[in-house]
Amino acid sequence: MIEFTNVTKRYDNGVFGLSDVTFRIEKGEFIFIVGPSGSGKSTLLKLILHEEIPSEGDVFVNGFHIGQMNRREIPYLRRGLGVVFQDFRLLPNKTVYENVSYAMQVVEAQPRDIRRQVPVALALVGLSKKAKAYPGQLSGGEQQRVALARALVNNPSVLLADEPTGNLDPSISWEIMKLLDEINQRGTTVVVATHAKSIVDDMRKRVMSLEYGQIIHDVQKGNYTNED
Amino acid sequence: MKIRTIKRMLQEGFSNTYKNLLMSLASLTMVIASLLIFGVFLMVTVNLFYNYNRIESQFEIVVILKTNAAPLEANDIERKLRTDERVSDYIRVSKEEAFSELEEMLEDTELLKGLTPEFLYESFRIHMKDSNQSKVFVEELSLMPGIQEMEFPRELLDKLGVVFKWMNVGSMFVLALLLLISVSIISNTIKLTVYARRKEIGIMKYIGASDWFIRWPFIIEGMIIGLVGSIASFLLTGYVYSAIENYVNRELVMNGLEILRIKSLDNIGGKILFLYVMIGMIMGAVGSIISVRKHLNV
Repeated sequence: MIEFTNVTKRYDNGVFGLSDVTFRIEKGEFIFIVGPSGSGKSTLLKLILHEEIPSEGDVFVNGFHIGQMNRREIPYLRRGLGVVFQDFRLLPNKTVYENVSYAMQVVEAQPRDIRRQVPVALALVGLSKKAKAYPGQLSGGEQQRVALARALVNNPSVLLADEPTGNLDPSISWEIMKLLDEINQRGTTVVVATHAKSIVDDMRKRVMSLEYGQIIHDVQKGNYTNED
Repeated sequence: MKIRTIKRMLQEGFSNTYKNLLMSLASLTMVIASLLIFGVFLMVTVNLFYNYNRIESQFEIVVILKTNAAPLEANDIERKLRTDERVSDYIRVSKEEAFSELEEMLEDTELLKGLTPEFLYESFRIHMKDSNQSKVFVEELSLMPGIQEMEFPRELLDKLGVVFKWMNVGSMFVLALLLLISVSIISNTIKLTVYARRKEIGIMKYIGASDWFIRWPFIIEGMIIGLVGSIASFLLTGYVYSAIENYVNRELVMNGLEILRIKSLDNIGGKILFLYVMIGMIMGAVGSIISVRKHLNV
């Protein structure tokens, strides 16, 4: 569960990332966050990840109070969140299998669990056969699927995706979106920040539009532009 | 921290060292270079100390008795020399011995014809354990009866002592300075490897890795590089040093300068290796901690 209450984020250079934003994302929801560049999408995700802290207002993520918590607690907040980025952010020196298992080693999981869970996650994204390949040997779509497997392997309650299809062809983008939907069907909250208008329109999910750091629409089963 | 995590970090440290071979080699070169320069100054310091002590121990106090000194007085002096703990060793030179020395020196024994050892004096040649005590010791001896005069190179020793002391302070200062410079150069080199991997660190943070989980592999990596570098520079130093030792000592002997000598490292090699390894590993670890710090604040 994610809750923003009257959140303002002002950067040091005076730019407003968000101004007085209030919303809730319930457990198990699928939500698109849309808007032009500089509208505050990235700020919103950074606040959820505790990469930035709010200037005013309160942000709660899975019971953690962003900006009011001990530095030592940050890793525990992040362990409850799976993250996928536009640029995949895989470790180039590690194989696909190692990239995914690494996320479990970080949380000091049992080796037995790691051996069991990693293949499950790889199967979920359809990459079982590429386990031994290095990221450089994969296509963009495959790399993003590895990133998804890594984000999911610890069973986070929330999956954050920042422009997950920004670097991908439309057909590949669809595959990734279908995967996200599947993941959501299994009970994970999915938050997707995106520019991909056609996908947003076709998925018929909750859509929150931002502009100049403010929410201009927040509609269930909405469209990118919400003209209807 | 769990055992398997420690095991993982060791593996991670080793495999990162290998996978970032070029950067590891850059850091390694820096470690070796700093330790070599450090080694040169260390060896100079060690040899300064060693030769000062050698020179000091070879200076002797000569006590010359009056020609008419009573045997009892000579025996009293000898008893003091034998029992005093500050005395390292002494030689008693009798009148007869002095006479035969004189004969040898003069070669032409005609000059000494008709003379008996009686006209000569008896003497003691004394080595002190610590030449700093010579001054007090000489004053004590001078109170004893039967002594004509005493010779000991106090002024020379004092001057030499001051010179060596300042050389010593100077080289200690240079050593400390070198260590500081080395740590900063090494941490800068490691900073390059960390910079090259800042994305990796960022990813680890997003996955939820704790600061220490990220830091340890880098520290281990730094320590591995420090360890390898220190052993390599120890071997290199040892090899070059023994070559210099052989050559210089031979030259010194050939030129009649036996009083000076390059110290053999056989007895202190273990200590020096230990020192190198400690310095190398600490430099590596500290360098890593300094370098990673900035990138952890994501």
